[in-house]
Amino acid sequence: MDAPKPQAVTLTIDEREVTVPKGTTILRAAESIGIEIPRYCYHPGLSSPAQCRICLVEVVGAPKLAASCVTEAMEGQQVRTQSEPALEMRRGVLEFYLANHPLDCPICDQSGECKLQDYVHAEGREHGRSREPKRVFGRDDFGGDVLFYGDRCVMCTRCVRFMNEMAQDPRLAVVERGNRSIIDTFFDEGVEGSPYSGNIVDICPVGALVSKDFLHKARAWDLEHTPSVCPNCSQGCNIEIHTRDNLVQRLKPRDNPEVNQYWMCDYGRARYEWLNRGDRIEAPLIRTGERDARAAASWEEAIRAAAAELGGAEGPVRAVASAFVSNEALVALATLVEALGGGEIVFRSPRTVGEIPLPGFEKLARREDLAPNREGAEALGMKRVGTNDATGGLESLAAHAGKLVVLGDELEDAGPEFGAEAAAYLYLGSYPTEGAGRAKVVLPITTFAEEEGSFTNHARIVQRYEPALQAPGMARPAATVLEALRAALGTPAGALAGRRGS
Amino acid sequence: MTISVKVMRRPEPGETSYLRATLRGMALTFKHLVNPKKVTVEYPEERPDLSPRWRGTHVMETHADGRPKCVACGLCPTVCPANCIRLVGGEDDMGNRYPLVYEIDEFRCIFCGMCQEVCPVEAIHVGVHFENAEYTRDRFVYDLDRLMAQEHPSTLLWDPSDGASE
Repeated sequence: MDAPKPQAVTLTIDEREVTVPKGTTILRAAESIGIEIPRYCYHPGLSSPAQCRICLVEVVGAPKLAASCVTEAMEGQQVRTQSEPALEMRRGVLEFYLANHPLDCPICDQSGECKLQDYVHAEGREHGRSREPKRVFGRDDFGGDVLFYGDRCVMCTRCVRFMNEMAQDPRLAVVERGNRSIIDTFFDEGVEGSPYSGNIVDICPVGALVSKDFLHKARAWDLEHTPSVCPNCSQGCNIEIHTRDNLVQRLKPRDNPEVNQYWMCDYGRARYEWLNRGDRIEAPLIRTGERDARAAASWEEAIRAAAAELGGAEGPVRAVASAFVSNEALVALATLVEALGGGEIVFRSPRTVGEIPLPGFEKLARREDLAPNREGAEALGMKRVGTNDATGGLESLAAHAGKLVVLGDELEDAGPEFGAEAAAYLYLGSYPTEGAGRAKVVLPITTFAEEEGSFTNHARIVQRYEPALQAPGMARPAATVLEALRAALGTPAGALAGRRGS
Repeated sequence: MTISVKVMRRPEPGETSYLRATLRGMALTFKHLVNPKKVTVEYPEERPDLSPRWRGTHVMETHADGRPKCVACGLCPTVCPANCIRLVGGEDDMGNRYPLVYEIDEFRCIFCGMCQEVCPVEAIHVGVHFENAEYTRDRFVYDLDRLMAQEHPSTLLWDPSDGASE
């Protein structure tokens, strides 16, 4: 059955005509032509209680100003967001907010990305007129990663509605009335243990809810934002990596209605420290005789040595991949293995039991696979081996007598004798490991945060990410390295072409 | 094409006398000898008077209990055109935001005074001070303790005699 075609309405906003489907609010209609109407309580992922009164606009003919976040756009409506009555009302509303807001922007973590700061700068009064003392609540630990500064709160109740509607775990409420009203928790544990509570920090338009992890770490304007994909489970939430001084400072969700809407889980949000690890393989290493004697080499020498090693050795090829590397690297590995005569490729990836869904948005859950690209590896015919904590499974490879290629796997439990029997052993990785001790050539590769690439998530959506960090030393993206190696071996490109899109 | 010849005009004997220029120079010299406005300051026994708006090396103001007034808001490293301020914020045991690291490279500093102007809590100031000699270069990176220990007066960025200029 065909859904009835949505009826369109045409209205005029600030002298510009816009046509939107019937039922669209004025705020969304304005947004579609690039007019931002201020908002605090309105969030696209939550219900609109129309209580912050900052989105009031003038609708010609209406007796009063209309809250644009709940008023539907009507045919022929004339909306003015910048008319004198609308501006005067917003100035007044902002003055009321500042009656109790502490203006501690210098020590507030939200400073620089604060909606109150933005709107007051844009439309507020130049000087305050209030001489009365401000209410003082102090700060409160809400549990989890969340810290609450009551003085800064503008009572938009986004956090309360997120816990009620999205997490469906009502742990926050507004208590008291009028001037004394404040967000509070029911019990001492607050939002502790709620797997999605970090989102209330993101949606807080002011600095009332701040992250304990990020507290005082960096100023918002110092951070560089890079669009990326969360590497901590196979959901593949769209994120922004916020970096400063080439270190990851925090992860923030980026909206994507197909994958994660506006949210991400606390599990993914908290796991970024491994991207800042300092112990890295920084240069290509070639073994010179005895096992621990290695010499740093140029890329040219290293690729030549690796090609000579792999091309000259006898025996079948086997490879270990990783579910933490990009699709591009996996394809390049599969192409290389095929060029060397074809052989089995296995990978190990951590897995847990049980998903952690977000009840308000059913597409989003912390998935069982705690690696971003298991689906991508399996789509290329690679086989998952080992246990759920990504150990074991490599016993037959450890003593493999032919050619052996390892990409990305840290070989934590493999021991120094891994690959001792191999005729040719090549290791590509980011971190120094005992398991690479017997490798003839060790090539440094970048982590996902330092390269461009893509992951395939649990629903087989391929998502691209961009480089957020500078790679250390001479590390290069694995796809580039493997492609250079394949070219040095003199085999044709695209041997895998027929299998793409499988 | 003809060769062009430039004919130099030789000065007349009357014009080559240096007496007039010498006399003019000596007149200036003797004028300074008796000029009551210009004096030689017998530095270092005598100190020159610096303007209250002089911008010299920095001073960090402190609270009565010895803590720095700085709240590590990060505005001075942001505004600094010479990029000479390094600031790492942290939280002290009373839950206040404060600078874990606050360093100013006085070699890089161009003494524009914008750090003082931008400071919301009036913590960092440029000072009325000019004697900065040290024996090693690394002594010119002033850390927080040194900035707090500075004894010279801090600068007024406005003209103190003009009430409207503040």
